[in-house]
Amino acid sequence: MKVLKILFLRLLSSYNLIIFLFLVLSFIGFIDSVYLTVNHYFKTIPPCSVSDCGVVLTSKYSTIFNIPVSLFGAIYYILLFILAVLSFEIRKEIIRFVIVLTPLGFLISLYFVYVQIFILREICFYCLISAFISTILFIFSFSIIRILETKN
Amino acid sequence: MEIKQSHRLTKEEKKELRRQEKLMKKQNEIKKRRYFHIFLWLAIFFIIGGSVFVIIKTVSDKGNSKEIKSDVVKISSEDWVKGNKEAKVSLIEYSDFQCPACAFYHHILKKISEEFNDKIVIVYRHFPLPIHKNAKSAAYAAEAAGRQGKFWEMHDMLFESQTEWERSDNPKEIFIRYAKLLNLDTEKFSQDFSSKDIERKIESAYQDAVRLKILYTPTFFLNGKEVKASGDYESFKNIILKAVE
Repeated sequence: MKVLKILFLRLLSSYNLIIFLFLVLSFIGFIDSVYLTVNHYFKTIPPCSVSDCGVVLTSKYSTIFNIPVSLFGAIYYILLFILAVLSFEIRKEIIRFVIVLTPLGFLISLYFVYVQIFILREICFYCLISAFISTILFIFSFSIIRILETKN
Repeated sequence: MEIKQSHRLTKEEKKELRRQEKLMKKQNEIKKRRYFHIFLWLAIFFIIGGSVFVIIKTVSDKGNSKEIKSDVVKISSEDWVKGNKEAKVSLIEYSDFQCPACAFYHHILKKISEEFNDKIVIVYRHFPLPIHKNAKSAAYAAEAAGRQGKFWEMHDMLFESQTEWERSDNPKEIFIRYAKLLNLDTEKFSQDFSSKDIERKIESAYQDAVRLKILYTPTFFLNGKEVKASGDYESFKNIILKAVE
């Protein structure tokens, strides 16, 4: 247990590793969202192993003004991805912008998980992946800021 | 004195040379970095664009195949069915009366229909290939016989005597003879044979098969899934046996 804790803290204090994971996760989140968006516009339901995704993905919560929320998700993840690339391309400080975005993403994900569990009573695997990724990105963005602060 | 000066000069020259070299190196590095930037953004652009493209492609392909499946599984009231309509196992055949392989499979299917009896429903769907000159006429004949309730009898007859009519320039005559053999009203048969209704039905069946991207005859769908038959009764029977169990 202690070893795990130390390992975890080490991981969270290595700036480059976090940025790398940040890039990978935001890219996966992007692919996940794009997949759902494309499925929405082709009017197909992606295969789900455990539960019925269709209920979630066609519910009234799945769109805002006729635009699927997954499209907003895709834009959100690609923004984070580009910010992370810019931070090591141009200026490290640019990464600070993520702290504005990730809490937003985290709260929205939390809301959608709540909708799935308590209102629709169906869970969509792809939506959970997205919620999981946005939670981790939220945690990462805090450790990134902390590392930057201690270095300064 | 002279020697010393020349020596000093060369020293300064050397310094200058070194400075220039450094500058060149720096410029080269800046150039390299710029290339790296361009390359990086291009790579990112292509990775993102490529993955979006791949996703769209796979989803649209899957959407199409899904449509095909649900189309095939449904047995409509227009279909010619043999066996038990309520059976759990359905075997749909896209076939052409003039295709030799279809005539060959006809014998296998007959055995299968006898063996599985009411455990299976067999559906015949027309796919008269344009390369077979009398395939369409044969399909009309089967439909016309079907109007008098003897589709399957005509179907068997057409396959069993395929060689007799396949090259004929006037297949209608031969088909009328078959109708007589089957104790059909030949006048009505002849009328139905030439009717626009039946022609339209065959045409739409043909278009359906094209839309399903069926490439050859006979093509079999067992419970909505295409099965590749190897051409002998035992292996075909085993495939169906698995579905029945």
